[in-house]
Amino acid sequence: MKKRILIVDDDWDFVEALAVFLEANGMAVARAHDGNQGVKLAKMDRPDLILMDIMMGERTEGFFVIHEIRNDPALRNVPVFVVSSFCSRLPDFEIPSSGGWLENDMFFAKPVDTGLLLEKIHQRIGRPR
Amino acid sequence: VVVIDDDYAMRLSCDKILAKMGLRAESFDNGASGLEGVAALKPDLVVVDLKMPGMSGMEVISRVHELDPQIVVVVITGYATIDTAVEAMKCGAYDFLPKPFSADELRLIVNRALERRRLVRKTQLHEIERAMLTRRFVTFVAHQLRTPLVAVHQYLDVMQRVEQSPAKQREWRARCLARIEELQDLISDWLTLARVESGALHHERVQVDLTKLIGDLLCGYDQIAAAQQLSLENRMPDSGLSVMGDRNCLVVLFDNLITNAIKYNRVGGKVTVTGTLSAGEAVVDVADQGIGIAEKYRPYLFDEFFRVPEEGARAASGAGLGLHICKRIVSEMGGSIGVESEPGAGSVFRVHLPAAMNVEAELHEETHSDCR
Repeated sequence: MKKRILIVDDDWDFVEALAVFLEANGMAVARAHDGNQGVKLAKMDRPDLILMDIMMGERTEGFFVIHEIRNDPALRNVPVFVVSSFCSRLPDFEIPSSGGWLENDMFFAKPVDTGLLLEKIHQRIGRPR
Repeated sequence: VVVIDDDYAMRLSCDKILAKMGLRAESFDNGASGLEGVAALKPDLVVVDLKMPGMSGMEVISRVHELDPQIVVVVITGYATIDTAVEAMKCGAYDFLPKPFSADELRLIVNRALERRRLVRKTQLHEIERAMLTRRFVTFVAHQLRTPLVAVHQYLDVMQRVEQSPAKQREWRARCLARIEELQDLISDWLTLARVESGALHHERVQVDLTKLIGDLLCGYDQIAAAQQLSLENRMPDSGLSVMGDRNCLVVLFDNLITNAIKYNRVGGKVTVTGTLSAGEAVVDVADQGIGIAEKYRPYLFDEFFRVPEEGARAASGAGLGLHICKRIVSEMGGSIGVESEPGAGSVFRVHLPAAMNVEAELHEETHSDCR
């Protein structure tokens, strides 16, 4: 069974590039282009991992989506990787297990280092068989 | 309010009067304890006697302002000479009250001082607000400029890592070009806006013939319009419709309006540009037959970064700056811009600009070019 990744980002081109990359690496990708769609797909699809943009229609839309996803018991433990250009000057880093974040969550700066992204995804949810 | 005075009777009456005014007053009998009170209570106003044993009133004023330069200080003085008053003002006092004074005099001065305090606070808040807006603005611009770059970067990165079909490669290259174009447009928009904001429009005013300018612009869109089966109708008068302004900005203004009318039109629709001279104003209407704009969005249409939310539609390019730029240009020129719209039937953008009243210029008018 392929691992399922949900990408939530309002930039269609960015989603397209990442989706093709992840699919080429043996994953199934669902695409959402705004927060509402993101929540809907997360609940319907039960992805193994979510890539989440922050600044979409609203400046902090992504955070609200994460909050809503965390409120769903079925999705409470899904790792969320935040992918946003707002933290571009920071190195990609892992989130401390406080403040509502899970230890499985991460921040990635845009543009994403796809090699590192793949490595971290494998680390979190395992390699495809 | 903090009152500092060594005279017990004075403190008592001040406290009474201030309490009656609905103010919270605390009084102290010497400079040192008064300052401690000021530090603890953070008052809006300090009333201080100039002549006290120990720390003098003058010293109290400067110490109070060391704690918080925004606190307003009023001095009470028994020997109200011009000299002492001036010296107190130099030390930073806002006003002074000669002894003996009536309750009305105290009330008047306290109210004036508190009004002053409110003004200072308001200015301070304004400054903080402005600083925050600037910061927000910079973050937003950075995000806007970065977004297309990130998309291009990611495409190229993935193309390097993943073998793609030639068709996909072609598609992605086209997308990269489109995003780079978006970046170029964004930068032009910012530059235009910066130009308008710097007031450059006032320096470079020449007489511009709108008939010619709009005619030329419409000619430039013939092919694009034909590709979308749109017809462009030029209903400008043959001559006589001129304004004083910066030519480049006028081009940006009408180019934005015409581009929008094309972009948001329906297939087979029509773009009509009408010009009239009315009560000393040049009035230009740019009308489309597109989807229209819902009434609830119309008040925000000319705001910076505002974009009409389109349900489920693939995000159309644009930063939400076009109409904002239009509005800035028009208002810099002393005109106005508005919109009328019927959802489903189309929108009309109407520009009012002060007309150039120069008969001589009409004689020297450039001939109306016809590019068809």
